[in-house]
Amino acid sequence: MPERKVVYSTCKSCHGGCGVKVTVEDGVPVHIEGNPDTLTRGTMCSKGLSSIQHIDSPYRLKYPMKRVGAKKEGKWQRISWDEALDTIAAKVKESQEKYGKESISISQGTGRGYNRYIHRLARSLGTANVISPGYVCHSPRLGLYGLVTGYGRLYCDYHGWGGEFPKTQIMWAKQLEISSADSEMCNWFIQSLDHCKNLIIIDPRASAYATRATLWLQPRPGSDCALAMGMMNVIVNEGLWDKEFVENWTYGFEELKERINEWTPEKTEEVTWVPKEKIIAAARMFAIDTPGCIQVGSSLERQANCGHTLRAITCLMGMAGNIERPGSMVSWVLPETGLIEDFFLELPLTPEMQSKIIGIDKFKMGAARTCNPDTMVKAILDGKAPVHVWISIGGQQIVHMANTKEVVAAIEKMDFMVHVDLFMGPMAQASDMVLPSAHWLELDDVYDMHPRFFIAAHNKVVEPPGEAKSDAWIFNEIGKRTAPEHWFKDEKECLDYQVRKGMAGKMKWKDFSKNLVSGCWGKDQVYYKYKTDYWRKGGGFPTATGKFEFVSKRLAELGYDPLPVYREPGESPYRTPELYKEYPLIMSSGFRQPFYFLGQYRNIPWLRSFMEYPMAQMHPETAAKYGVADGDWIWIESPRGKIRQKCRTFPGILRGMLMATANWFYPEEGPEGYHGVFISNPNVLTSNDHLDPMYGSPDLTCLLCKVWKCTEDELQDNVFKTQEFGYVQRTVEK
Amino acid sequence: MKYGMVIDLTKCSRCHACVAACRVEHFLPLRVTWVKLIAYETEDAGVVDVSTFPVRCNQCKEAPCVDVCPTGATQQRPDGIVQIEAKKCIGCRYCVIACPYQNRTFLSKELDPGYFPGHPKTRFEEKGKKLYPHQRGTTMKCNFCMERIDYGTAHNLKPGIDRDATPACVNTCQARALTFGDLDDPRSNVSKLIRERKPLQLQRELGTDPSVYYIDGIIGGKDNKAPIESQTGSHIQHLSSVEARAKEIFPELKQGK
Repeated sequence: MPERKVVYSTCKSCHGGCGVKVTVEDGVPVHIEGNPDTLTRGTMCSKGLSSIQHIDSPYRLKYPMKRVGAKKEGKWQRISWDEALDTIAAKVKESQEKYGKESISISQGTGRGYNRYIHRLARSLGTANVISPGYVCHSPRLGLYGLVTGYGRLYCDYHGWGGEFPKTQIMWAKQLEISSADSEMCNWFIQSLDHCKNLIIIDPRASAYATRATLWLQPRPGSDCALAMGMMNVIVNEGLWDKEFVENWTYGFEELKERINEWTPEKTEEVTWVPKEKIIAAARMFAIDTPGCIQVGSSLERQANCGHTLRAITCLMGMAGNIERPGSMVSWVLPETGLIEDFFLELPLTPEMQSKIIGIDKFKMGAARTCNPDTMVKAILDGKAPVHVWISIGGQQIVHMANTKEVVAAIEKMDFMVHVDLFMGPMAQASDMVLPSAHWLELDDVYDMHPRFFIAAHNKVVEPPGEAKSDAWIFNEIGKRTAPEHWFKDEKECLDYQVRKGMAGKMKWKDFSKNLVSGCWGKDQVYYKYKTDYWRKGGGFPTATGKFEFVSKRLAELGYDPLPVYREPGESPYRTPELYKEYPLIMSSGFRQPFYFLGQYRNIPWLRSFMEYPMAQMHPETAAKYGVADGDWIWIESPRGKIRQKCRTFPGILRGMLMATANWFYPEEGPEGYHGVFISNPNVLTSNDHLDPMYGSPDLTCLLCKVWKCTEDELQDNVFKTQEFGYVQRTVEK
Repeated sequence: MKYGMVIDLTKCSRCHACVAACRVEHFLPLRVTWVKLIAYETEDAGVVDVSTFPVRCNQCKEAPCVDVCPTGATQQRPDGIVQIEAKKCIGCRYCVIACPYQNRTFLSKELDPGYFPGHPKTRFEEKGKKLYPHQRGTTMKCNFCMERIDYGTAHNLKPGIDRDATPACVNTCQARALTFGDLDDPRSNVSKLIRERKPLQLQRELGTDPSVYYIDGIIGGKDNKAPIESQTGSHIQHLSSVEARAKEIFPELKQGK
């Protein structure tokens, strides 16, 4: 009889968080489904479910390897873990002695639980030159929410714990129903729609929900700050603001009123291309039908005015009194296990470390704790960057950063680079060494969600292939060899340490693993914290003024405008009208699919089957104007370069724009072109010259481009060499 | 007893999870899907409609595939599920042509090259050969997860209510857009939705009488008061220390849960 067991864990196929139930027969997972006894009620998405195919991929990295040929040659040699780790330690030490501690850079992909490890390693090595994609995803909103309210982790209350669900919901540049950038909030958002009066979708592109929403606004990409200013203008002029909240708990309302005075519905319409009737209706709904909340998407953070856009949106929330009310924007009370970031926050970021951060002189918000990656790229190319050793995990900077050509040129200049991943990819091919990491079904770890009101356990379901190891193990081993005083005897001790505050200080990993979660919800959550002594005695927000700050003195101190201000994208019909004549389409790389997660999963056949090639959406009329039809391969060109994607005509998109699929490389392509990173990835087109003054974020979702149809010959030329890779059949494509 | 499904296009986020759940549940070969999404996007007088339909075998009450099958391999069970007995199927593909919804797949070699062509079969595929074998040269399609239903009803579970007796796609749907149950039972969730929501059957005019119904509508217009189980959070986490406290605060939960 085969031996069967059921293992409960937590998914990490996106940021993760969904409860998982896996049936294992003789050591092989034979079934995967959601765990019904968790917050996600037994549901799972296509990415998580396809993990069962993912883990068995023959393309998995199984052993540490060092590069024996030139970069991009794809020649690798298996080495032992000891050799790998000792080499890394030696390189780190050598670089530290020769160039200083800041010469070590550690990079990560999007938050996947390894954040804690990379930050702890960086701090224990005395460097703050961490390359995080945070500056184009999530960090700006946390920073700006933090500036205005004093507490950054402000999330939509989709839960009803305070007796009310949001009456008006705004989904701004975000499809929370299919993308869970705020973790499994997807699930709660959809549930909360059963109790919602108005759903407002702000997106240049239709989604199933947009066409069924109460109101759907299609702004010109990059003009979102103006839209928020226009909505505030309506609220002020019609006297709809929350009088009690604004009077008692906010600072600087009069100055803000003055600032938004110019943003009449007419002007806002002109700038954003949203009909003024819709702007007025949205503003009224949000201010009258309270409580309400705004879920912003990271597309807003991929724009070079993201700081002020998010500040304006935060002010809009405050003006309507949608802060800390049940059903509005709430910062959650932590579970008894405490703040999971304490794992690295306990090692201080010294002024010495901070002063060496690349970009801190320019981007005082974005480069305060991590470096500005775009500035680093430029500095490396100029030969001025202090960085010589790069330890990379998970992320594909080559794919997600603006101006691929420059990023690749910079990375190729590294003295030593090591990449940790599940598969070979662009970053691995640019490295001197690759380390195999375990899939989430193959490791024990702590899952921490963005809103921070619970943590959950990833439990090992199966053994990893070959010598692949968990992130915790890999970083602990590197740490032990480079800064032993800050690291742990083994992985188990490291995990015990992270959950130690649970069970009144008695919790061990094995208790946590069994319990699956440590959370704080229901009646244990606290609303209206500013009316209590929670943040400050006698009530108030944890800001300098103790108020919700419409005007930020802190921003003024840092040299920024203390009030929100609109700035056109680096390239736009209004800012660069001459360029617009040559590149007459507004382009965004904001097209995401529910079955891919950023640069991931094009190598998982079940997932690739849903979209074999990157699609660029255009309105049928726009496409016809440029002589391209649905299904055509098209060239998309910007001043930086050109790429090919497949045209998909779609009536639900704003006319005059093109929405390209983001982060696309071809795992099936060879190492010689970094796995096809130059073929279709929109970041070949994006610019790293025009950055957000606060966060250093580039314009990834608002630039200009032109399109034309590819010829047959061009499609044969130097692309698509592989005959068959998983789902993709080359015979179909000519 | 007639099993049926109601798909709420208002709630469906078009995330494709149903497709993936079906593949996992039935160890489906690489290029076979029993559930798929078909795009239907229009713009009429400035009004955009994004009506992508998730489709699967409609388990028609008047199923043309059953009528054309020369060997009796395709049969309709008393509970309405149209199933294929692979042993009897001779691969004539009459049914593939007869199905007006193109929901049947003839399993050819080309559709089953292994998950990673050119590589040995994965562990999961190997397990599938024993746990859920598929016969090349026969026809396959969605069967409403009848194995789950049969297991469930044999264990006194209610299809559409209890997970172990409910199709995998229904269980995994984050939007809770899929509802499954007995069409003959007026108290079932599916019957209720069909009565209240004016459902649509695909190509009704063909007289096939599908057991899969679609409903559509708009989001919003609801009251935002939170029901008591939402307030406690007790329904979402059995391990929570909160639950005990919640029961003190809300005595009515003691009886309910």
